[in-house]
Amino acid sequence: MGAEQAWLLAAIPAGMFLVLVLFGRYLPRQGDYLGILAIGASFVLFFPVLVDFLDFFDAEEARLAIHESIAWSEVGDFHLRMGIYIDPITIVMFGVVTSVSLMVNIFSVGYMKGEPRYWWFFAVLQLFAASMLLLVMADNLLLLYISWELVGVCSFLLIGFYWEKRSATEAAKKAFITTRIGDVGLLIGIILLWRETGTFEIQEIIHQAEEGLIGGNMLFLSMLFVFLGCMGKSAQVPFHVWLPDAMEGPTPVSALIHAATMVVAGVYLTARLLPLFEHAGGMLMIITIVGLVTALLSGFIAFAQTDIKKVLAYSTVGQLGFMFVALGSGSVAVAMFHLMTHAFFKALLFLGSGSVIHATHHNQEMDKLGGLWRKMPITGTTFFIGCLALAGLPPLAGFWSKDEILLVTRDAWTVWAFVLLAFAAICTAFYTTRLFIRTFLGPVRDQQVHDHTHESGFIMTGPLIFLAVLACLGGFVIFHEVGEALGFPGGITEFVFLPPHEPHEYEIDWALAGASLVIALIGVWFGAFMYWNGSLARSTRLAEWNPGLYALITNKFYFDDMYQAVIDKGLLGFSYVVAWFDRYVVNDTGVDGSAQVTGYGGYLLKFLQTGRVPNYAMGIAVGVVGLAIAGLAVTL
Amino acid sequence: MNATEVVWWVFAVATVALSAGVVFSRSVIHSAIFLIGSLGGVGAMYVILTVEFLALVQFLIYGGAVTVLILLALMLTRQSVSGEPEKVTGVQAPFGILVGGLLMAILIGSAVGTDWPNDVDDTPTNIPIETISEQLFDTFGVPFIIASVLLLVALVGAIILARQEEGDA
Amino acid sequence: MVPLENYLALSAILFSLGVYGVLARRNAILVLMAVELMLNAVSLNFIAFAAYLDPERITGAVFAIFVITVAAAEVGLALAIIIRLYRNRATSNVDEVATLKW
Repeated sequence: MGAEQAWLLAAIPAGMFLVLVLFGRYLPRQGDYLGILAIGASFVLFFPVLVDFLDFFDAEEARLAIHESIAWSEVGDFHLRMGIYIDPITIVMFGVVTSVSLMVNIFSVGYMKGEPRYWWFFAVLQLFAASMLLLVMADNLLLLYISWELVGVCSFLLIGFYWEKRSATEAAKKAFITTRIGDVGLLIGIILLWRETGTFEIQEIIHQAEEGLIGGNMLFLSMLFVFLGCMGKSAQVPFHVWLPDAMEGPTPVSALIHAATMVVAGVYLTARLLPLFEHAGGMLMIITIVGLVTALLSGFIAFAQTDIKKVLAYSTVGQLGFMFVALGSGSVAVAMFHLMTHAFFKALLFLGSGSVIHATHHNQEMDKLGGLWRKMPITGTTFFIGCLALAGLPPLAGFWSKDEILLVTRDAWTVWAFVLLAFAAICTAFYTTRLFIRTFLGPVRDQQVHDHTHESGFIMTGPLIFLAVLACLGGFVIFHEVGEALGFPGGITEFVFLPPHEPHEYEIDWALAGASLVIALIGVWFGAFMYWNGSLARSTRLAEWNPGLYALITNKFYFDDMYQAVIDKGLLGFSYVVAWFDRYVVNDTGVDGSAQVTGYGGYLLKFLQTGRVPNYAMGIAVGVVGLAIAGLAVTL
Repeated sequence: MNATEVVWWVFAVATVALSAGVVFSRSVIHSAIFLIGSLGGVGAMYVILTVEFLALVQFLIYGGAVTVLILLALMLTRQSVSGEPEKVTGVQAPFGILVGGLLMAILIGSAVGTDWPNDVDDTPTNIPIETISEQLFDTFGVPFIIASVLLLVALVGAIILARQEEGDA
Repeated sequence: MVPLENYLALSAILFSLGVYGVLARRNAILVLMAVELMLNAVSLNFIAFAAYLDPERITGAVFAIFVITVAAAEVGLALAIIIRLYRNRATSNVDEVATLKW
């Protein structure tokens, strides 16, 4: 099988979605093995695609991407084609999406055991993976938008999986509507781009931008709208509010949404369109600022969260901010590298927290957990690895990618960006340490919860181990030798690049690496200092030191309250006016009024019906004379 | 003014007078008698137009059957036995004169004002009865049969309507 | 020589008299007679037109025959209705029958 048949990767899970939706509940085990089979087939088929692509790929001869398309629709002289476009970015996404989806599917068998609508869960997981795979190989913006929305719908369905719970439906709605606001921007951006270039094909648009056929304010405006869509999907400030609430979904879904599929769609799209962003005035600056603000804010908010999943959610928001900073610095390779390593360790952390939650019978408050390492050695160890990777300690995956982001930021922008990002990295290390200590170390806080805790089965720890290995080793693909040994042209920076830029070999910058290590260690040390042995004494003193600041952080910088206020005051006020207009003008005056006028008119007119035949005859005669006069008047 | 014209004018004036008698006469019986005369006058017009067959039909059906029927109905519905003079016109009689007059003016005006295609001053020549029979039984054969069915239905309907039912006074 | 217009005018006068009769008179039978006058005016029109404008085919005369036929049927039915009305209401005045109203 060649890379031209890569569409099968999406088609197989999509087909299985149909099978599971239609017949899932009647199958033995409700068809969960079919789901694993389908996504496993995608994962296995990824390798021939990879091998074929590597055979084809040659940077020196400018063979950078495989593009296959078929006619989709023709209206007059307007031709629409759809197809697949496979380049190194797509290959990286394929690898991430298929492997993480497979792990999540396997993990779910254990985690979701005995849940109602078990079959439905697996069906939507298939659709989710399929739409994400379609998204990353779409060659035109229209197909991309369709899969983009499919991803949104799937996240809505999965976040609201426990729809009996009111908070779950609210969270699902919030996620859907918030990303929807961004999606409208994306749609406007796509339409603007189409108006300017007359095509939906991404490469054609990029080509036109490079030729200088489009540009100026129009390009800036359309790219700004496109970026709005990316911000919504990737939960960047101010659209980040949906993501923590999305934790209402089952934990494997959180892992899937926050590691491999939904949220990285925005990063992917920005990476895919980066040449356009580069041509669009100050867009790179905007992307960097949005990423920085998001990384810092989410870092602060995560300090005060007590729900393990919420801490992880804010760390996801923050890491996505890091990716956008990398993109804003013009480095696709680094962003994709961090996307990949982040996908592995974040999926690991989410699945690990899922394992904890499952073991403690749906207890995810850190105040009740603690000292779990002894009870759950495998989960504890893998979670530890994930935490170290997230904190950015060498030689784990997170260290290399974060180090690279700091490097490109230092090269692309002035020192302030570097300092702010470094500070965000310290925050990350701090709350990660806090999370780990309060969950797995320290004294047992709730003996009853502790007594019932047990290590999860292999079906759940297996994926954890697999992802832990990836989180340990995933970072090494940055090295030329490792890449070559795996059959790539070199390290990831020599493989993933966009044409105007040259691939470059990674060279370790010892000073920066040292700084990076120091940054991580500061965060870890500070976290350990505050929470060692699970004691809250120091952190409580810190919180009391400045209650206003503490309130600001615990209330997540009042973003939700602000939106709520806007909705309450603005939207509901406007709705009140509209409702008043509807009730009194449209309904009472328009609808009821016209009915009353008709009714009263009928009451008046009925007296014309005298029942006397001569009156009717008179009516006819007058009518005839009138018509005759009218006819004469017309002819004369 | 030749003989035909003299005859035409005599019959025209008589017809109009008799028709006016029909609608203005106070006695219904008188109206019925005037109606016979008026229908006869129209029949005479048919003769002057040399369509004798139609004149014959007019005399037989209208002058004979219809008027007899009307007189019979008048006998059956004889009213104002007290002999007290009854108001014969309704409240809208003045409007009736107005509308009728207006209609007459319009009709005569448009008849005179219209430019007729043929030379319409000629008195028509003798029209053969064969032409009428050809038209009636050949060209309009189907309508002719349908008309006979209509007559039958009307006959049955009239009988059912006018029949004395049980319980009727 | 009698021109076509003379016939048309005569027919118009007869028709208008009929209209007045229908509108003004109270007695149902007289209204019926007025209707007969109108029908006659129409027949006269038909035949005059046929004789002057279409002497070869004289289609108008055929129409006059149909008019007479239908008029006969109408008179039969109308008189039956009037007799029925008289029997039920003891009147044959059209303006005294006004049940079919609001």
